[in-house]
Amino acid sequence: MRRGLWDRETVAILLVAAYLPLALIWIWFEGGDAALSLLLILLILAIWQLVFLLLRAQAPSLSAVATALAIAMLAPRELGPLPLILGVSFGAVMGELVFGGWGRNVVNPSSVALAFLGFGFPGFDWPEILLPVAWAAIPAALIGITLGVMPGPVILGAALAGAGGLALGLDLGEVLPAASVVLVLLVGDPVTSAATALGRWLNGVVYALLVTLFATGWSGAAPVQIAVSAALLASLAAPLLDEAAIALWRAQRRRRHGRP
Amino acid sequence: MAGRFDFWSILTDPLVRQNPVTLQILGLCSALAVTTSLPTALTMSAALTVVMTLSAGAVSLIRRHIPDTIRLIVQIVIIASLVIVIDQLLRAYLAEISRALSVYVALITTNCLVLGRTEAFARHNPPVPAMVDAFGNGLGYSLVLTVIGAARELFGKGELMGYQVFALSDQGGWFTPLPLMLLAPSAFFLLGLLVWAIRSALPEQAEAPEHEPPPTGEPAE
Repeated sequence: MRRGLWDRETVAILLVAAYLPLALIWIWFEGGDAALSLLLILLILAIWQLVFLLLRAQAPSLSAVATALAIAMLAPRELGPLPLILGVSFGAVMGELVFGGWGRNVVNPSSVALAFLGFGFPGFDWPEILLPVAWAAIPAALIGITLGVMPGPVILGAALAGAGGLALGLDLGEVLPAASVVLVLLVGDPVTSAATALGRWLNGVVYALLVTLFATGWSGAAPVQIAVSAALLASLAAPLLDEAAIALWRAQRRRRHGRP
Repeated sequence: MAGRFDFWSILTDPLVRQNPVTLQILGLCSALAVTTSLPTALTMSAALTVVMTLSAGAVSLIRRHIPDTIRLIVQIVIIASLVIVIDQLLRAYLAEISRALSVYVALITTNCLVLGRTEAFARHNPPVPAMVDAFGNGLGYSLVLTVIGAARELFGKGELMGYQVFALSDQGGWFTPLPLMLLAPSAFFLLGLLVWAIRSALPEQAEAPEHEPPPTGEPAE
């Protein structure tokens, strides 16, 4: 993608800018350890980007900052360096770099890393998302949507579906902070969310439905675990939703104009 | 006959250069299912190699008498009989491992690797080269299973063949076991990484790209 000012790195920089409120509030409340783990993850990601730059001439991307923030905020606590290095490497390499770098990946590398850490080390506790951090997701989403780097319909669709669930009296209060932070960090990713207008709305709704399903039916799961699993499945469904939206558009077009 | 067949290359080609699992991506079902530990992987490899070698020999012996129209039925009957014999032997002498392998020994019957070699090679060649070829392919399959089985057991439990190799962290050591390695997805990841590694080392195995990127004057993103 390249149009005037807009190339891949512009999007990455603006995405990082949108995440800044979230990152600052999170570091403010979690303290120096959190900043340290963010730096460690960033270092691992930078090393892998360097490896792929040298081996395959893949241009490095600032999106690593967004990936690192998502992993640092949502990864299980007290993992120790070795599992963290393993999980981040797996997510970055298998989730993003083998596909040709940011912009060509099918799933968000942070979702892959988090799912790997969650399934691979089930003994560790998932973090708790504090309420002020969850509130900071709202300015992050607003900045992202205004700058055009986050798909608005995805976030609005998820918010509306979630509001609908709350109106129906479903008990979502416990997962709401984690679900909103994950919505902004993982589901609202411009690369791996759906790309068509209808697909984007559906993508947000699918995420909200999955969160609701897991929150009501998955006993013993932590809120972050529920949200991350829902985000991973929603991003896997995104191409299908796009395909469905395009098929629908073609069917409408055929009905109106009489030929394919 | 020895002049027509280069037995050494028939035997060694399927090990890496023409490996049935990593190059032809055959026989994956069992390769992924039984590699949670090294002993089951080794037993499965041995069972498959024996079945494949003997069935290749049998098919090759009667190759001029099999009508083309029913050849698949004949081949599957031969393979299935051998599989039943092997399955009974395993149940009699290696009951524990037989239980761990569950249905996968019986499923050797439908393993496309066995049928592939009898169909492609044994049906057209004399018994000795056919058996050497089948044995080589069995060894190639075994090699992949052994590598993946060893990696999964080592990183999943810190053990090899049941002996503790890494000191576990809950016993005061440094190694945190990775339970993911014992689940099915890890076999896919490991096999994918193995295929990637082999194709990086031997680029002639890599498939031709399906799409060429469109020529543009813009810098590549």
